[in-house]
Amino acid sequence: MSSSQPAEADAEVESESESFTGQGLPRVEDHRILTGEAEYVHDITPENCLHMALVRSMHAHAEIVDIDTSEAEAHPDCELVLTAEDLKADYNPMPTGVGRVKIGGTGEAVELPEWSLADEKARFVGEPVALVVASSRYAAEDVADLVDVDYDTLEAVADGMKAREDEVVVHESIGTNVVDHEHIEFGDPDAAFDDADRVVEGEYSWGRISGVPLETAGVVAQYDDEADSFDIDCNIQLHTLVDETIYETLGYDADDVRVNVPADVGGSYGTKIAIHRYCCLAAMASQQLERPVKFEEDRLENLQGGDMHSSDREYEVRLAVDDDGTMRGLDVWFVDDFGAFPRYPINQVLKPLSVLTNSYEIEDVSYEYDLVLTNKTSQTAYRGFGVDPHIYALEMIVDEAAREIGTDPTEFRRRNLIRPEQMPYTLPSKNIYDSGDYPATLDRIQEIVEDERDGGLLDPEVVAAKREEGKYRGVQPSVIIEPGVSGSDWTDRQRSNRDALEERSREEVEELPEHLRAEISEDGTVRAFLATDSSGQGHQTLVSQLLADELEVLPSDIEVGYLDSVDAPTEYGSAASRMAVMLSGATVGVAEELVRNLEELAADHWSVSTDDVSYQDGSVELIDGDDSLSLAELAAIDADGDERRTRASYDYDHPATELEEFDEALTGKLPVYPTAAFGSNAPIVEVDVETGEVEILTFHTVRDCGTMLNPMIVEGQAHGGIAQGVGAALLEEFGYEANGQPQAITLFDYLLPSIENVPKIEMEHTETPSPFTETGAKGVGEGGMIDAPASIATSINAALEPLGLDEPADRIPVAPDHLRKKIRDREQ
Amino acid sequence: MSTDSTDGIDGHVTEEITVTVNGEAVTAEVEPRLKLSDFLRYECDLHGVRVGCEHGVCGACTVQQGGRTVKSCLSYAVQADGAEIETVEGLASEDGTLHPIQEAFHETHALQCGFCTSGFVMATKELLEENPDPSREEIETGLADNICRCTGYQNIYEAVERAAEAMED
Repeated sequence: MSSSQPAEADAEVESESESFTGQGLPRVEDHRILTGEAEYVHDITPENCLHMALVRSMHAHAEIVDIDTSEAEAHPDCELVLTAEDLKADYNPMPTGVGRVKIGGTGEAVELPEWSLADEKARFVGEPVALVVASSRYAAEDVADLVDVDYDTLEAVADGMKAREDEVVVHESIGTNVVDHEHIEFGDPDAAFDDADRVVEGEYSWGRISGVPLETAGVVAQYDDEADSFDIDCNIQLHTLVDETIYETLGYDADDVRVNVPADVGGSYGTKIAIHRYCCLAAMASQQLERPVKFEEDRLENLQGGDMHSSDREYEVRLAVDDDGTMRGLDVWFVDDFGAFPRYPINQVLKPLSVLTNSYEIEDVSYEYDLVLTNKTSQTAYRGFGVDPHIYALEMIVDEAAREIGTDPTEFRRRNLIRPEQMPYTLPSKNIYDSGDYPATLDRIQEIVEDERDGGLLDPEVVAAKREEGKYRGVQPSVIIEPGVSGSDWTDRQRSNRDALEERSREEVEELPEHLRAEISEDGTVRAFLATDSSGQGHQTLVSQLLADELEVLPSDIEVGYLDSVDAPTEYGSAASRMAVMLSGATVGVAEELVRNLEELAADHWSVSTDDVSYQDGSVELIDGDDSLSLAELAAIDADGDERRTRASYDYDHPATELEEFDEALTGKLPVYPTAAFGSNAPIVEVDVETGEVEILTFHTVRDCGTMLNPMIVEGQAHGGIAQGVGAALLEEFGYEANGQPQAITLFDYLLPSIENVPKIEMEHTETPSPFTETGAKGVGEGGMIDAPASIATSINAALEPLGLDEPADRIPVAPDHLRKKIRDREQ
Repeated sequence: MSTDSTDGIDGHVTEEITVTVNGEAVTAEVEPRLKLSDFLRYECDLHGVRVGCEHGVCGACTVQQGGRTVKSCLSYAVQADGAEIETVEGLASEDGTLHPIQEAFHETHALQCGFCTSGFVMATKELLEENPDPSREEIETGLADNICRCTGYQNIYEAVERAAEAMED
C-alpha cells in the first residue's frame, strides 16, 4: 500500500486558507517523486526474482513452421522457455473486443481467439512468439536470441482501406477483415442532403499515433503455490475493471489474482489499458517456476509491438449546407484500423457519438464505420478515445463548406453554434451537453485574435513582411467540446445484439459508480483509500483537499492510499476524465457518512441524542455542554466498540444514473458523457512554404471545465493535453510500409514533442458549473489532445489560404513533407 | 581501479569498478555490458534514475558525471570507473529540505507522472550552474534533450526561472 506523504511546504498555504477546494494546492505526490523515493513498478524487484524476455516476430504475417527451443534451453542462464503450445495446455486465450464475429453480418458466429503468444501464425511485427526467463534481463535477452523460429512468410496488409477488400485476410478462420460495421442514422439525413442548397465533401486521414508514456509496461508476478493464487504488481490502467482480462486468461477466479498498481505510474493516457498480455505471461512463467518473474518492456518493444498503438482512420465526410450559412446535415463515413486483433476493451468508434456535431446544431446525421483488421499492432485506447479524429474531420469539412459558400469560416461557425438558452442540449445521438455559453467563448477568442492583429503576431504589416520571406501566418478560431465522465454500459455495444437494443429496458442498464473509503486513525489523522489507479493526475491531492474541507481539517491531516483489485470493488476507475467528477462526488459522500457516524458515536458516548451533538472543525461537540471529542478521541472510543463507526465507504453514482434525460441513450447503448467541458482555441501558426515546417507561435485558448477543484491541476492537464495534441498534429506517427514493417521503432523515428516544439500557451478560464455533478466539476483529462489537432489543422489551412490550396492539412500529422508536396504540386 | 577482466559471476566476464555516487564510493563486480543506468538503479539502488528509452532520446536517465550531465543509458558502468556521479537522490539536504530546483518544480506543478522529472531536475542543475539567469531561449536549449509527456513544458520554464531566483538569493 502506498500513501501520500504530505509535504511541509504546504503548511503555509493551508494556514492562509478557509477552503482548500478551488485552490491550486501543490501536490502531495511530488515530494517522493522529486527525491527519487517514488516506487514505480520498474523499481520493484523481489528477492529471488527472475526476468522475462520475449521473442518477437520480425514478420508482419507469417506461418510459424517450427520453433526450436533446444539451444535456448541449453543456455546456462535459462530457466524457462514457453511457446503457444505450452500456453494452450494450461491457460485460456485473452478476451477480445468483438467477442464472436458474425461472418457476413448474418452468418454463423465464429470465435476469434488471441493467445498471449502467437499461435501457428504471426500477425504483426513485434507479436510475441515465445517467452524466456533467465537470471537477469541481460541473460534473458541472450537466451531469447537462441530461440530459433522457422517462418513461412505471407503477404501482409497494412492499410485499412485495402484490408476491406479482403485480398489478404488476417484471420483465415473468419475469412474477412471487416469484423464490425454499423450505420446509425439520426433524424432524416437523406432529406437534409436532398433539400440543402449544396453538399460539401472531404476526405481526411488520421495517422496511427499514441500516448507513448515515458514509462513502458512493467509487471512483477508471483505465484503462491500453497494458496494457488497470484500477486501481480503492474502498471495497467483501470486495474479493477480490466483485471478480468488477466484472471480469465489464467483461468482463475477474480479473488485468486491480486492485481496491484503502485501509487506512481509513469504516464498512461489510456494506452496501458491493454497491456494485460505481459501480466498474463509473467504470471504463467511465475507459476511454472514458482518464483517471482519480472518483465520490463523496452522502448523498441513498446513502439513496434507493445499493444499500445491507437487507431488510424480514413474519413469521407459530407456536410449539407444552405447558401445562407445554415448547416443542414452531416454524413460521416470512416474506416478504423484495429490492427491484428480486436482488443478488449475497444469502442473508439462509438465515443464520437457523444459529441456527434461538436458545438454545432445539426439535427440530421448519418454515422457509419467499418472496423477492419490489418497486420499491425492491435489498437488500444488513447487520450480522447477516438473523439480527436472525429472533431478534426468535422472541423475540416466545416472550413471547406465556409470556403465553398464564400463566407467567413468564423461567422459560419458562429451562426450554427448551440446557444446557451438551449442548455442542457440533447444531441441527435441522445447524449446531453450540460451547460455552457459557446457563442461567448467564440467572442472572447475572437477578441484575443483581434488584439493580435493590432500590433501583435498577426499585425498586417508583420504578416505581409513574413509572407515575403515565404512564411505564412494564420489562425482559425473554433469552439470545441470535451465529453467527460464515461459510464461503461455502452462500451459493450459491440459485444451485444444490437437488434435487441430497441427492446431494452432502463433496468438492464448498469452504470458504474466510483468508490471511496475513509477511516480515522488512532492519532486522529484521516486515511482514505482510492479504488482506482493514477498516472500523474494528482488524485491523492484532490481527495485530500476535498476531504479536508468536508471534515474541516487540514489536507496534511489526511493520507490517501490505493486498493488492489481484490480489495477494491470492481469499479470503472480512472478513464474518460472521470476522476475529478467521480472522486469529488465520492469524497463529499464519504465525508457526510463519516460525520453522521461520528456524531452517533459521540452521542452514544455521552448518552445523548444525535440532535444534541454537532460535528465541526474536526471534532464533535456537545451542544449546550462543555465537552468535545477530537478525532483521535473518537478513534479511541471506537476501538472498544463492536461496530467501527470511524470507518465509512461510499459509492458515488454515475451522474447519468438518476437523470431521466439520459434514459434513451443509456437503453440504446449510445455513449453517455454527462459533462461537456468546452472552450475555444486560436493557435497562431506560421508555415514555411520552402520546408513545409509549421511553427505554432502562440496557442491561445479559453477553457471551461465547470467548477475548478484545483486550478493548478486543471491547467496542468490542459498544458499536457495541448502538448500531446501538438505532437499528434505535426510530429507523431507510427508509419508502416506496405508489407507491414513498422517505420517508427525508436524515439528517433516516432517524434515526441520536446520543449522546442511546444508553443507558449496563453490560457484563460471561465467557470460554468455542471448542473449534473455533485461539485459542478466537469471532466478535463482529455482536453487539448481532443481539440488541438483540429484547431492546428484549420489554422494551417487559414495560413495557406492565400496560395489557394485545397485543404492542405487533410491528413494528421501535417508533416513537413506532406505540406511541401501540396505546395509544390500547386506551383507546378 | 581494476582493469583485469575475470570470470566473475556464473561464467560471465566481469570487471571490478569503483564509482563515487552521491559522495559515497561504491565498488562492484560488473559485466562490461552493464549500462551505467542499470548499475545505478540495480547495484546502487538509486531508483530516481529512470529508464525511458535506452537510446538517448528521452533524457529520463540524466545524471551528472564529473559535474556534467550524461544520459546514463548511453554509457557503460565500466566507463564510469573512478568517476563521480550525482543523481537526484543527492540533491535534498540530509534533513529532508528540498533543493531549490526540486522545490521550484513542486511549487509550479512542473511534474505530473514524474517519470521524466529526475532527468529534468538534473538537466536544470547543469543549466543553472553554467548560467544562473537563463532566458527562455537558453532554457529551451538547455532542456531540449529531455522529453516530458505530461506537463507540456510551460510549467517547467516557470520552475527553472523560479529555481534560478531562489538560488540567486
